[in-house]
Amino acid sequence: MAEDPTLQVSRRSFLGTTGAVVVGAATVPTLPDTAAAAADPPTAPRTRIVLTVNGTEHRLEVEDRWTLVEVLRDHLDLTGTKVGCDRGECGACTVLVDDAPVYACSQLAVWMDGRRVRTVEGLARNGVLDPLQEAFIAHNAAQCGFCTSGQLMSAKALLERTATPTTDEVRRSMVGNLCRCANYNALVEAVMAASRAPRAATSGGGAA
Amino acid sequence: MSQDANGSSTLSPLTTAGKSTPRIDSVERVTGKARYSWDVKLPGMLYARVLRSPHPHARIRSIDVSKAASMPGVKAVITHENARVVWGAGSIAGGGQYNDELKKITKQRRYIFNNPVKFVGEPVAAVAATDRHAAEQALLAIVVDYEPLAFVLDPEEALKPEAEKIWPEGNLSLNVRNEAVPNVSRRGSIEAGVAAAAKTFEDRYSTAFNHNAQMEPRCCVAHWEGDKLTVYTPTGGIVNCRDDMARDLGIPRDRVRVICQYMGGNFGNKNQNQDADLIAATLAKMTSAPVKLEFSRKEDFVGMHGRWPTVQYYTVGVDARGSLTALKMRAYSGMGPYRKNSGGIAGLELYACPNVESTLYPVYTNRTVSGNYRGPSDPQGFYGVQSMMDDVAYKLGIDPLEFAIQNMSRKFRDEVPYTNYSLEDCLRQGAARFGWRERWRREPGSDAGPIKRGAGVSFMIFRASLGRSSAIIHLNAQGRYTLFVGVTDVGGGAKTTMGMIAAEALGVPLSQVDVVWGDTERCPYSVGESGSRTTMMTGGAVVEAARALKQQLAEKGAPTGDNVLIASTSPSPTIDGKSRNVFGAHFVEAEVDVEMGRIRITKYLAMHECGRIINPLTAKDQIRGAALQGIGMALREDMIYDRRTGHPVTTGYYGARHLTYLDAPEIDVEFIEVDDGYGPFGAKTVGESGIILGPAAVANAIFNATGKRMRDLPITRDKMLGAFA
Repeated sequence: MAEDPTLQVSRRSFLGTTGAVVVGAATVPTLPDTAAAAADPPTAPRTRIVLTVNGTEHRLEVEDRWTLVEVLRDHLDLTGTKVGCDRGECGACTVLVDDAPVYACSQLAVWMDGRRVRTVEGLARNGVLDPLQEAFIAHNAAQCGFCTSGQLMSAKALLERTATPTTDEVRRSMVGNLCRCANYNALVEAVMAASRAPRAATSGGGAA
Repeated sequence: MSQDANGSSTLSPLTTAGKSTPRIDSVERVTGKARYSWDVKLPGMLYARVLRSPHPHARIRSIDVSKAASMPGVKAVITHENARVVWGAGSIAGGGQYNDELKKITKQRRYIFNNPVKFVGEPVAAVAATDRHAAEQALLAIVVDYEPLAFVLDPEEALKPEAEKIWPEGNLSLNVRNEAVPNVSRRGSIEAGVAAAAKTFEDRYSTAFNHNAQMEPRCCVAHWEGDKLTVYTPTGGIVNCRDDMARDLGIPRDRVRVICQYMGGNFGNKNQNQDADLIAATLAKMTSAPVKLEFSRKEDFVGMHGRWPTVQYYTVGVDARGSLTALKMRAYSGMGPYRKNSGGIAGLELYACPNVESTLYPVYTNRTVSGNYRGPSDPQGFYGVQSMMDDVAYKLGIDPLEFAIQNMSRKFRDEVPYTNYSLEDCLRQGAARFGWRERWRREPGSDAGPIKRGAGVSFMIFRASLGRSSAIIHLNAQGRYTLFVGVTDVGGGAKTTMGMIAAEALGVPLSQVDVVWGDTERCPYSVGESGSRTTMMTGGAVVEAARALKQQLAEKGAPTGDNVLIASTSPSPTIDGKSRNVFGAHFVEAEVDVEMGRIRITKYLAMHECGRIINPLTAKDQIRGAALQGIGMALREDMIYDRRTGHPVTTGYYGARHLTYLDAPEIDVEFIEVDDGYGPFGAKTVGESGIILGPAAVANAIFNATGKRMRDLPITRDKMLGAFA
């Protein structure tokens, strides 16, 4: 995906204003718990990384044990990405790293140095929902909604790779995203509706 | 409206209700803005972790927390020695949840920390620290000296005299009067029914523990401001949760505020407080800081609850014409070591029979605690009794669909009329739509070759009674309505449904109605999202509030300036001398590869009569998702224990083998819509009804395909292959 030119501005202003802080970015307020954590001596080694999230570059000093999802949720306040299992089973934490869907719970933040991350917060542009988000609404693809962000990001990666997937391709590429509401029928319908695939009869899975 | 012979009325079309409507909060849901309890973060918040028992049954000789307490960042450590807080909802006489009187007399009580510990995963200590890693490290430094005790995992074994006693009173869980006796219910005489039978049949069925496994793991943020406690927690019932917290902590109800705006799945038994809420509140009090307790996924599996496993023995007597003369069940439900819920097993009420007897033993075991999971008593019992009846039909040479229609209940307990009756419509219309005649094999297992298909059916009657709930509606001078309801929206779409009911009853567009929900400080009593009651009960209160507001509007005129009109209602509607229920039938075609043991669902039709459907968009997906959960129960889910160590070995999503995209067939849903004159615009219950029918219909389809009666859920590949060994 091409860089959004509007983001260059925020990068420059970011570089101009950020000093050496534990966590900081022009667009992110300093979080209260950062101060609380700093009151106690750090108990883990830290590493400085540069992470681009939804087009905004962040210079962060992260504990080596922090996962990507911890950094996104706890330190950048991007709580749209959920933690369902924290052990690579459910896919609720799926984000795009350099356009590929990954489980953010299973990536250490230090491995993300120099990488480009997209989260659910970056799907809508200037208040305009992505067609996938529109389709998720129209097809009731979110029941409890806790797996939804991960489902959206997996579907986004699929549709960027394949504009006209079959229902079987949707199922196969999203199999790493569980939905305990078992809303799979509606999820497949929503992804197909957002794709440019011709409307056709869908075929079920159903193996046990 | 005119009522037909079955008590149903032709539906009069409405303006808002009945139209497929996207959720009013859908933008928040798809942009990541919806704030779940797991997302709550307060200034100065500490993180808490729980240490859990590695033993299925052990006495704690001592706990040394001194090293943990002195670690960097650790602010508090609590154990059974310094935090003895009763968890009233964690163990109740007879499993009578939502009953304060029972919680007072309960003998077999649960505390947030207990000694002895009675299952692997029972909380032993909790730590609050400045970050979650510090809390996790501190857990490793707590030294517990355990004296391991004998343990028992199987409910039938637990009742043997030589079994380890989990409670001094024995392993049969005490009833609502603290008596160690089974629950018995009787109608007519089984002896007379068996004597009158031309043939009798006996068999045994069993079902497994299925974890609720909602996607949002258990968590809680507790925050004290002076003597006032605010709790952010995933609960289906903010009011019941508040009342439980106040009772357990010994503070007035108005000193507790419970907030739950979005909830990552429910599926049962979350209409109260949890031990996580009490542990977080205790730590927050001790540290004078907000505390967030998070469970890992594995902790959620061992520390929360799931559907009770059962063993069911049936005796069925049939006369020469194929009508039931006797129906008897003796059954055992494994409750874990505490009594959270009833342990009930439903199903006998589905049949017309003069002689019925049910004996139920809710039994303590050293497993993870059992609790309500979507249709708490239903799918396991419906699987047992409808497999049994299916088998009887084949043995009598009768089409199981015709046998069901011949013997199904026409009146509740053969005497109380239903408010309307559409069960036969569900079965006959469903059979036609599904193609029962073409898909059902007269000779089970008769397909040539190793890949065999067959069809199965099950049917349902499930309560849709009415009850108390509250609603408040404001109208301001700008003509905007605000509806206040104490729902949390666990996934079913309750706040959209409530908004639609209000709009319909007020005669205004949905866009003119704002809905305020999920906060005990702002919302009145709601029954809580359990028992599939919100649409009927809270929806009924919304209709009453709208009616009251319209009356005020007629009398006083529209408000001006800063004035608002306010209508507040708490109706307790009843149904005189009748029984109100939903009806349904599921038809399943299964394909079994008898060489590989692989089972595929090749067609699935869910026929439901749930009264009037308020929002077809969300109702359809409630049924589709629930039906898929039912398939998971039939084919996949179990919490398997290592008999030597008493450890569960299938915790987590991989272990539980929940259905994925690749396992989920398309579910066809058909609603027969009626208005029986009760409930908001004739709406009944939806949420639970879809899960109830799957296991029986799937198992019956497998029998039709293979000729093998699968008597133990889940029907895994190894069991399927074993049936052919």
